[in-house]
Amino acid sequence: MRGLVATVLAAALTLSSYGCGDLSRGELSRGVEALSGLAAQGGLIANGVARDATKSTYARAMAKTLGGEAEHEAEKLADAEPSPEVVDERNVAVQIASEIAELLSELQTFPGDEHHGLLVQRHLREAKEQADALTVRLTGEEA
Amino acid sequence: MKSILKIALGIIAALGGFLDIGDLVFNTQAGALYRYDLLWAVVLGTIGIAVYAEMCGRVAAVTGRPVFDTIRMRLGFGTGLAALIASTFVNLLTVAAELGGLAIVLELLFDAPFSMFVVAAAIVLVAVVAVLPFGGIERIFGYGGLMMLVVVVTIFHQSPDWGEVAQGFVPSLSGSTLYLYFVVGVFSAALMPYEVHFYSSGAIEEGWTESSLKENRLNAIVGYSLGGLLACALVIVSGYLFHPLGVEPNDLGTVALPAQGAFGETGLLLALGGIMFCVGGAAIDSSFSASYNVAQFLGWEWGRYRGPRKAPRFTFSWLIFLFLALLIVESGINPVEITEYAVVFSVVALPLTYLPILLIAGDRSFMGDHVNGRLANLLGWTYFGVIIVLAVAAVPLLLATNGGGG
Repeated sequence: MRGLVATVLAAALTLSSYGCGDLSRGELSRGVEALSGLAAQGGLIANGVARDATKSTYARAMAKTLGGEAEHEAEKLADAEPSPEVVDERNVAVQIASEIAELLSELQTFPGDEHHGLLVQRHLREAKEQADALTVRLTGEEA
Repeated sequence: MKSILKIALGIIAALGGFLDIGDLVFNTQAGALYRYDLLWAVVLGTIGIAVYAEMCGRVAAVTGRPVFDTIRMRLGFGTGLAALIASTFVNLLTVAAELGGLAIVLELLFDAPFSMFVVAAAIVLVAVVAVLPFGGIERIFGYGGLMMLVVVVTIFHQSPDWGEVAQGFVPSLSGSTLYLYFVVGVFSAALMPYEVHFYSSGAIEEGWTESSLKENRLNAIVGYSLGGLLACALVIVSGYLFHPLGVEPNDLGTVALPAQGAFGETGLLLALGGIMFCVGGAAIDSSFSASYNVAQFLGWEWGRYRGPRKAPRFTFSWLIFLFLALLIVESGINPVEITEYAVVFSVVALPLTYLPILLIAGDRSFMGDHVNGRLANLLGWTYFGVIIVLAVAAVPLLLATNGGGG
């Protein structure tokens, strides 16, 4: 039942977000902005781990949830058919999404390790910067 | 001293009812998306719920009739039945959302699968209701919810630009469809129908009479003002921290992040504890409300104070609602999504809840000297107009914004 509901929701989301055809520049841009937000939120969680200012169960559960969202975003972007002019940008976006998912997975594995927390925080900041730069490339506006 | 203790009814309604998963989610998202721009909508909703809660508490104290009794009496069986069906549907969604929210908080605090915590949360709620008297339930969840005050303290730690914050209290309707959707969401999260159902039935559980009217007014003003303060605090801390970073808070756990940022693990634990009590209290409020409504409409014996032996159908229906909510959450639907739908659909049920209260509270043949004064009538009818507009706009906005997804 859980799988069925999740599949139906995922299909509905994909269709409503990207339509049945091309992934437009605007849609891709919104997806990349969402990735930037996920990286920022992950960075806040990682900051708590790095400062030993959080509870490991909280950091683990949040990293798992956010990592799942990033992975889902990567899959959505990878499955979508991009408009010809944004193929390269779509590929970069998939790469960023996968990287965010991996970093959050690492945080999920080491939620009580300050050193890992610091590294993940740093890399998530870089991922956010990449996502913001990609948004600027797509929209021509500052993120 | 006794009257101070009795204000607990207002506090649980404010923290366990006003500040439920709907407020936690919508206010945090509103801050992240629009910074402080929606603070006015929080204040508008807070005044609205305080006005109607005072009215229905007064009606219950003077006439001995709770909300659903008055609905059937003033609107007749057919319309009353429609109100019952709509309220029961929204209440069931709300119970499911609160139960799921409770399980999410437990998952964040302890390392175990979510589905196990859903069952654990339901068992704990049944045990709490079975063991504690009505007043004990109020105090545990009401005072436990006060841990959410850490969010207010977080504001001062963040030290936002107070000029910008103040500007957020000036109403503005200029904005995108998504902005209007959040206006509806923030406003209706404050006026969820179960809050007044619970408040008025609670007044009868507590044995209020005409001599309790001062207490009623204090409960409505102090309790809901506190709830409104916390709701504003959620918008402000979220607007300060999340808006510049572009964070889109889609999880209940995100609500606790600003307190962690400010006060480390202590802040995090206080925020999670506060959320747990708020959501747990709201799960009890909303499940009780669902049973109150059915029992009052069908003329069953009802009330926690009567106990399961004297009110067996009421007690059984409460357990059924909790069980159905458990099934909904266990089906895998995200509790936050359930919350958003419960809040928006509740707007449609609002007129059927608030019109009878307004009619009875303004009827001298029922209320005698305690009939609505000019101010109460003015506020009541003005808010009813706002509710009608929002009820018409809610579902189109939900569809136009793809459920708030933009």
